Amino acid sequence: MARSSDRPTRERRERRFALVLFLPAFLVLAIGTTVPLFYLLWASLWRIDLSMPWLSGFAGLENYAKMAADPRFWNSLGLTVIYTGSTVVFQVVIGLGLALLVLRIPRGQAALRIAAIMPIVLAPVVVGMFWRTLVLPPDYGLLDLVTQALGLGSHNWLGDPQLALVSVITIHTWQWTPFSFLVILASLAALPPDVFEAARIDRANAWRRFIHITLPMIRPAIAIIVIMRMMVALSAFAAIFAATGGGPGTATEILNLYAYRTSFTDLNLGYGAALAVVLLAITLLVSFLMFRLRRAA
Amino acid sequence: MSAVGRVKLQGIVKRHGNVTALHGVDLEIAPGEFFALLGPSGSGKTTTLRILAGLENANEGRVHVDGADVTDVEPGERDVAMVFQSYALYPHMTVYDNIAFPLRMVGTAKSAIDSAVREAAAKVRIDHLLARRPGQLSGGQQQRCALARAIVRKPRLFLLDEPLSNLDAKLRLETRVELRKLQRSLDVTTVYVTHDQEEAMTIADRMAIFMEGRIVQVGTPDEVYARPASVDVAGFIGNPPMNLLPGRIAADRLHIGDHMVALGRDLGAEREVTVGLRPAALRAGPTGLPAKIDLIEHLGDTKLVICRAGESMVKMRVDKAASFRDGDDIRIGFDPGEIHLFERQSGRRL
Ligand SMILES: Nc1ncnc2c1ncn2[C@@H]1O[C@H](COP(=O)(O)OP(=O)(O)OP(=O)(O)O)[C@@H](O)[C@H]1O
Ligand SMILES: [Mg+2]
Repeated sequence: MARSSDRPTRERRERRFALVLFLPAFLVLAIGTTVPLFYLLWASLWRIDLSMPWLSGFAGLENYAKMAADPRFWNSLGLTVIYTGSTVVFQVVIGLGLALLVLRIPRGQAALRIAAIMPIVLAPVVVGMFWRTLVLPPDYGLLDLVTQALGLGSHNWLGDPQLALVSVITIHTWQWTPFSFLVILASLAALPPDVFEAARIDRANAWRRFIHITLPMIRPAIAIIVIMRMMVALSAFAAIFAATGGGPGTATEILNLYAYRTSFTDLNLGYGAALAVVLLAITLLVSFLMFRLRRAA
Repeated sequence: MSAVGRVKLQGIVKRHGNVTALHGVDLEIAPGEFFALLGPSGSGKTTTLRILAGLENANEGRVHVDGADVTDVEPGERDVAMVFQSYALYPHMTVYDNIAFPLRMVGTAKSAIDSAVREAAAKVRIDHLLARRPGQLSGGQQQRCALARAIVRKPRLFLLDEPLSNLDAKLRLETRVELRKLQRSLDVTTVYVTHDQEEAMTIADRMAIFMEGRIVQVGTPDEVYARPASVDVAGFIGNPPMNLLPGRIAADRLHIGDHMVALGRDLGAEREVTVGLRPAALRAGPTGLPAKIDLIEHLGDTKLVICRAGESMVKMRVDKAASFRDGDDIRIGFDPGEIHLFERQSGRRL
């Protein structure tokens, strides 16, 4: 009897103690993310244009309505889709190709793995600067030297609107393909060799072994890469900002950059907040769908 | 007897770096035979099987199947099926798709695949599990699935690498019998790797015994049991294997310690030998090799009396009714016809 009566109080004491331990983390999280998030939602409902402060006031959904008719918004949304889609596809395809190749070389795999980590550990802004100042400038950039030597002529890699988009996609792919390469290499190396031997005896040629055995068996790894890299690509910022700043014009202005430029260049904070909310909604929706897809499989 | 599935290995040498796994293996297997590769761990059985399958290349030697040299032929082109020790099922496919895979790879028509899969699954009694994945099967069911995948294509050669070693003792005995029946009904040449001499003795038509990368004896289970070709084979075959005692022969006399036996045949000059005696061939009597009982093991319908004769340990199988006690002094008798003699130096049978 005595025991059963003191257990609830002890349990309650323990729960209270757990709460105390949990509180600091909760507060930091709340102040750091939840509060700004609600502030962002709130701000998106206002007209706050620091260049025209006399127009400020509650706007309701006006900022969202304005977006529908804003060609620059649609342009940035399209660029976000292209940028995210192409960088993720490239990362997976090139990373898979490289991993399949590297798995075949008997020596030097460890060195290659270390080399692959290098781009990943660089800050994206450094990567953007590096490409802008060393690789892509016309006449003296590394890439231009190569194309000129090959007789393909000099190009303004970041100045030409079409080339600029290709360039920022390349930069992102260059930096993050090593990540997918390493993950895929690890999961390929962990595949049981006897299953492939069984497939050889069952008359599956190399291509069919790849399609019927390799791909399905590393699918979980690829799914995780796609999910993670989509989240990052959707909110990419620093590398593009450092390389092109969204330009020339709006040629590389993905939604994230448009929101930034609206808020901090044009000082239209209300509209910028609304753009950021849309980006957030898209990111959440995509991640929700991806996880649903992954669970279904 | 089937007409296809004749196997011939000629002088197969296999090296891994500076380790030589096989030192020149020669082997002939007749069509329809159930042939066991038997030997202790690391003796080169799996290596031989893998070379036969084409999964590994031999450094020297040729592989012939049905008269054709297949040494450089891809595994898929050899028309063989294999059951791996690990089963090597495709983990992401259902049992159905696992069994169907070899047929799909050769472009069999869909309807033909369906009936073949169901027939193969029914033969090994897993037709109720077709929708499951390998991860949802027990060890025995996985083994059956691997077997079904192997028989579905009706190959000319079955290769089985210790297919029963992951099963529990009871299931192993049952499956052994079924495997034997299955092979008879399919009439396909079967090469069966095992390190379990009892398994090989009960299941095989003939067997090859491997020791350290060499075949030391080929024969039917009866031949190998009756006339082991060397001390190594003698010490490997039988449960328990035969007792091996140091001895000396001179003309028609055999000396084991102070004990002397008349052999009834003249074996020439005096020399050192190893004497082999099966536990079941021994009996306690008024005369014979003097020994002292160390321990008695009860095996159900028989007893194993473990005793010490001079420096050596001797095991004797006796009826369960026999009354012995630990520490008894006995004399072990045997017929001269039950004696196996091996040259001490080379280990070869005399
Ligand atoms: N890839 C390899 N590299 C180096 N040595 C190897 C390799 N594969 C096999 N060996 C060696 O070759 C010898 C024969 O191996 P094998 O696998 O054929 O033995 P086994 O008779 O099947 O033994 P077990 O009953 O343990 O399976 C062993 O000594 C083994 O260590
Ligand atoms: Mg083996």
